[in-house]
Amino acid sequence: MSDASEPDGRRETIDSEGRVDGTSPTSPTSRSDRLGTTPQQGTPYTESQVIMSTVKFVSPFALTYGLFVTFHGGGSPGGGFQGGAIAAAVVFMIAFAFGIDATRRWLANAVVVGLAVGGALVFAAIGLVPVALGGAFLQYDLLPVPLLDPVKYGMEAVEILGIATIVSGVLTGLFFVLASGFNRDGLDESVVSRQVNGDTDADRGAHERGES
Amino acid sequence: MIGATATSAIAAAGVPVTPTVAQVTPIEASLLVFVVLTALATALARDVLAAVIVFGAYSLGMAALYVFYRAPDVALTEAAISAGVTTVLLLLTLAKTTRIEHEAAFESVNYPAAAAAGLLFVGLALTTADIPAVGSPDAPVWSNPDVTQWYLSETYAVTGVENTVMAVLAAFRGFDTFGEAVVVFAAGIAALIVLRQEVFT
Repeated sequence: MSDASEPDGRRETIDSEGRVDGTSPTSPTSRSDRLGTTPQQGTPYTESQVIMSTVKFVSPFALTYGLFVTFHGGGSPGGGFQGGAIAAAVVFMIAFAFGIDATRRWLANAVVVGLAVGGALVFAAIGLVPVALGGAFLQYDLLPVPLLDPVKYGMEAVEILGIATIVSGVLTGLFFVLASGFNRDGLDESVVSRQVNGDTDADRGAHERGES
Repeated sequence: MIGATATSAIAAAGVPVTPTVAQVTPIEASLLVFVVLTALATALARDVLAAVIVFGAYSLGMAALYVFYRAPDVALTEAAISAGVTTVLLLLTLAKTTRIEHEAAFESVNYPAAAAAGLLFVGLALTTADIPAVGSPDAPVWSNPDVTQWYLSETYAVTGVENTVMAVLAAFRGFDTFGEAVVVFAAGIAALIVLRQEVFT
């Protein structure tokens, strides 16, 4: 997907951005230059040994902390929402250090979609099973769970398998979809050219009226 | 808020059983000043990149404040979502658009806008006198034991988890949380539709 969508639209914007930055009278190595344009990535990336080594060292601990916050939400501050966000932040860190496109290739789309959809389905299922058994939505004590306390472990399942997976999946997905930006493929060509030229509908209408 | 806390502390001094009415500690005061300054800097910064970075610092200051006010669950969320994820997403969006270089660091103040914001501030500040002080025994949280105390004392017996916040979120108000989770899920789908993408990665 990333390779397919990369070609024309994206490279065009990079070039135009590069020219804007290049003609600016201030220093060409300013921060905006590094943040805005990196030809081979199309997304901000500066390869840094310091950042890569730090992320390599820190990310396992950060992921462990995110899992702890998720799994230990019943006994300490935290829960699925916070833990899922921390787990997604680990992916952000890896992308920050090793490049977004490299991380994109490493992380399959099925994983991200599976986390988000699976979490929503698990939460809905835990809520609806008691309804099917004649109770209320999310009435945990009706859950048919053998050996374990259905209330405690039902809540843990909602937090861990429901909320944490939705949040981590959606946040990771938002990160990558924002990084790849607006997809011009399939847009009407006249719309694209009008947007590039900065013409508005009103301008175009006036132009046509003047011609006729 | 600082003033209200101080006066209530004096008023509560005569009460024999005084729970910990929080005095404004130096760390707390400096955090409050930090939050206000970063909020002002976010509003006034001319450069969007600078505004985003200062906004991240503001969120981190708020997270530290929440820890002081004994709301670690909220603090965790503020630190992870506002300071971390939102800042990264805003920076990514900036990187995909053009950013104009500015000579001046700060925007010149728009006086009508400042007057409107000032009026709103004064209106809100007038209401703080009626807000109970942090830890005050008169706060509705304590003066209404039938509700608050029930959750604090019965949560473990009813649900089997120690964290009352999580019990409220996942059990007592579970249907609301299901709605929130679906909102997050819908946000992912909305981003795909708006950006005309078919896959996330």
